[in-house]
Amino acid sequence: MQKTKTLNVLIPVLSILLAFFIGMLIILALGKNPIEAIGYLMKGAFGSKTNLANTVVRSMPLIFTGLCTCFAYRCGVFNLGGEGQFLAGAMAAITVSLLIGHEGWWVSIVAVLAGTVAGGIWGLLPGILKTWRGINEMITTIMFNYVATLFMGYLYTTALREGSVPQTAPVPDATKIGRIFPDLRITWGIVIAIVLGIAIWYFLFYTSKGFQLRAVGFNPVASSYNGLSVKKYMLTAFIVSGAIAGLGGAADVLGTQFRLISGYGGGYGFDGVALALIAQLHPLATVAVAYFFAVLRVGSTTMQVGTGVPTSVIDIIQALVIIFAVAGSSMMYLPKVRKFVTNLFERKEAK
Amino acid sequence: MSEILRMEHISKQFGDFYANKDINFDVQQGEVHTLLGENGAGKSTLMNVLIGLYQPTEGSIYLRGKKVEIDSPAEAVRLGIGMVHQHFMLVEAMTVFQNIILGDRRYKGIFIDHAARRKEILELSWRYGLNIDLEAKITDISVGAQQRVEILKALYRGAELLILDEPTAALTDIEVEGLYSVIDKLKSEGKSIVFISHKMREVLHVSDRVTILRAGKTIKTLLASETDGKELANLMIGRDLVECEYEKKESEQEPVIELRNVDYNKTSKHNGLNGVSLMVRKGEILGIAGVDGNGQSQLSQIVTGVTMAEAGEVVLKGCKVNHVTAADFIEKNVSHIPEDRNRMGLVGNMTVEENLLLKSTQDCAFCDLNGWHLKKKAMRTYSESMRVKYDIRCQGMDQEIRSLSGGNQQKVILARELEAKPDLLVAVHPTRGLDIGATRYVRDNMIAARDAGCAVLLISADFDEVLQLSDRIIVMFEGKVMGEYSGKNPPISTISLAMAGK
Repeated sequence: MQKTKTLNVLIPVLSILLAFFIGMLIILALGKNPIEAIGYLMKGAFGSKTNLANTVVRSMPLIFTGLCTCFAYRCGVFNLGGEGQFLAGAMAAITVSLLIGHEGWWVSIVAVLAGTVAGGIWGLLPGILKTWRGINEMITTIMFNYVATLFMGYLYTTALREGSVPQTAPVPDATKIGRIFPDLRITWGIVIAIVLGIAIWYFLFYTSKGFQLRAVGFNPVASSYNGLSVKKYMLTAFIVSGAIAGLGGAADVLGTQFRLISGYGGGYGFDGVALALIAQLHPLATVAVAYFFAVLRVGSTTMQVGTGVPTSVIDIIQALVIIFAVAGSSMMYLPKVRKFVTNLFERKEAK
Repeated sequence: MSEILRMEHISKQFGDFYANKDINFDVQQGEVHTLLGENGAGKSTLMNVLIGLYQPTEGSIYLRGKKVEIDSPAEAVRLGIGMVHQHFMLVEAMTVFQNIILGDRRYKGIFIDHAARRKEILELSWRYGLNIDLEAKITDISVGAQQRVEILKALYRGAELLILDEPTAALTDIEVEGLYSVIDKLKSEGKSIVFISHKMREVLHVSDRVTILRAGKTIKTLLASETDGKELANLMIGRDLVECEYEKKESEQEPVIELRNVDYNKTSKHNGLNGVSLMVRKGEILGIAGVDGNGQSQLSQIVTGVTMAEAGEVVLKGCKVNHVTAADFIEKNVSHIPEDRNRMGLVGNMTVEENLLLKSTQDCAFCDLNGWHLKKKAMRTYSESMRVKYDIRCQGMDQEIRSLSGGNQQKVILARELEAKPDLLVAVHPTRGLDIGATRYVRDNMIAARDAGCAVLLISADFDEVLQLSDRIIVMFEGKVMGEYSGKNPPISTISLAMAGK
């Protein structure tokens, strides 16, 4: 009981420290000074107001895709389609804002809503296939990612193309999501993201529906025997998780990116899965881990400029965190490790 | 006879709690030595120490007089200790042969010499009279056969000492007979057996010696030939057991549920119902007797709304049931103690408290704002009161339910289902795997529910249980109702014949 809670915090933290340690060894092997490199990383992330703002901006889409994973997995739905749902949201938002013929704050609200709905629908489709046909959602959601990416290609090369460059027109200025501070790039989107994280946390652990959703996620058979509609909850998880990612896509395109271009959104979905797993599917921890990922991304550029250590070292560190966290959780199933840990806790309790 | 195992002064401490305290236990070659004790008496802990899952806090283990350190299950296997768990550890989608060679560490190399392995296994199975089709998939064979696979697996890995953890819990009477003959065969080949059970009759039948554990301590070791069930029961629960006979009642009140010619998966002899008609009245216990796997599971699912009848009528409280879900039946005050508590009754990863409240988080006692805010304090107060009322033994309300013993898990289900004040209680194998104390507790509660006016449908493979509790008895065989008998002075021989399909 206490043990599980402690382990849930301990494993990710140790994974991060271990990953950094190995990352520093790699930097050393490159002939650079690891302390200096990490120093530049920190400076890049936290050294100035602008840099700090950049980390927040970078974390926003990751928070959304992380929460998308978190919500779905808690209900036993293995949604790997965060990316497609994110793009569906972004595409719907930009289409609305460009074609509605008006601009202004109310258009951006309509666009955000459209993005949320589009993400929800993009989640619903594999949900229908799963619920009534039993088709594995891990496969269908990934397939739907490709459909979304290719459809986005149609938008920026053909339907909404502007000029000779393959990209869409930008969102009109009045429709953009506003900045919180005029001189920083942080938009109200981050507030939505954090509030959403808190809301999901509250929903999962402090409401009856959230309780039932977790029960379905852990044991669908017992849940159905106890009168819970498993199909309804799973379908809801598909729709809501899709809508979360869709909302993220809309907020990102209206607040940060302003237009669709080739390669937009790539990797957000799977980063979301990874960081939600590191956060042990806890919504608040998901927000924190998303911010940590963003710090690494932003800081690595400064590190590359300052010391010549390539940003890919940071990619390696990030991948190592994932590997260690997942391996750490799985290791708890090994009898020897479990025994060791149990003994460790017993000794502590005995004291 | 020579001594094969001796466990000396074994203690195992969890925090301040001693699960085992100064236990002495030994097994001679070629004997069956039974460990007898209630749930939580420390049998499982002791065996987990023996197979290397736990390290004892104090004490030592000797195998053939040599001191050993068993620090992992693999080491236990290497030393010739094999365990057949109560819940089998088999891969259902694989064949018997694949399951047996799975995890075999004796042969190194990339390729498996199928022919040689098969020959070896066949020889073993022939020698011990374990009649199994090696090519059958685990899902397709009976529970009794699965158990023989487990025994064969242990033997194949060179077990000299076999631990059988409540091996008869899931077996039919005929299968139990088969198990006895396997045990005899094993004994005659010089294997030693630790038999874990709390059923007096079989303990006396099968054991050479019996060691009684109570509250983590060894109470006494007796020769089975020099004792009787009463003495064992008294030693085990530490007080005199009153031979209990529940009062039988004849209810003339209205039926709560009625089935008329219900069919479900009609062509299957073992997983279907064929023209079943029955009714359960208010204030009576209707017992369904029959060998496991004659349609009882399907019956229980239909009367709780988990599945729909394919033909015929189901009438619940005077209303014909058309399209339903389990939720509709719960709404109509139907409670269910399901046959598999871990799979169907409990959410293992959730806490004791969450499982107690699994059905009731929408009640206004536990939430505000139409379910959008849980009253955590009220939930805690309620679950603590349930812990006291139903004597649920756990470390705390936040303990994961899967780490509780079977008896305490069943108490959680009982608390949840009875506190709903049901009009119909469907109890399937309600005391399977429970010790005397917990069994008694569950039965008393069912009788109390009946006396309070609840209609109880008891489905059990334990014939004694059906006889003890039922006011009326119905026998099922191959999905059909074979006959109905009064619970008062039931014609036991007729019922037994009916259970065999005659």
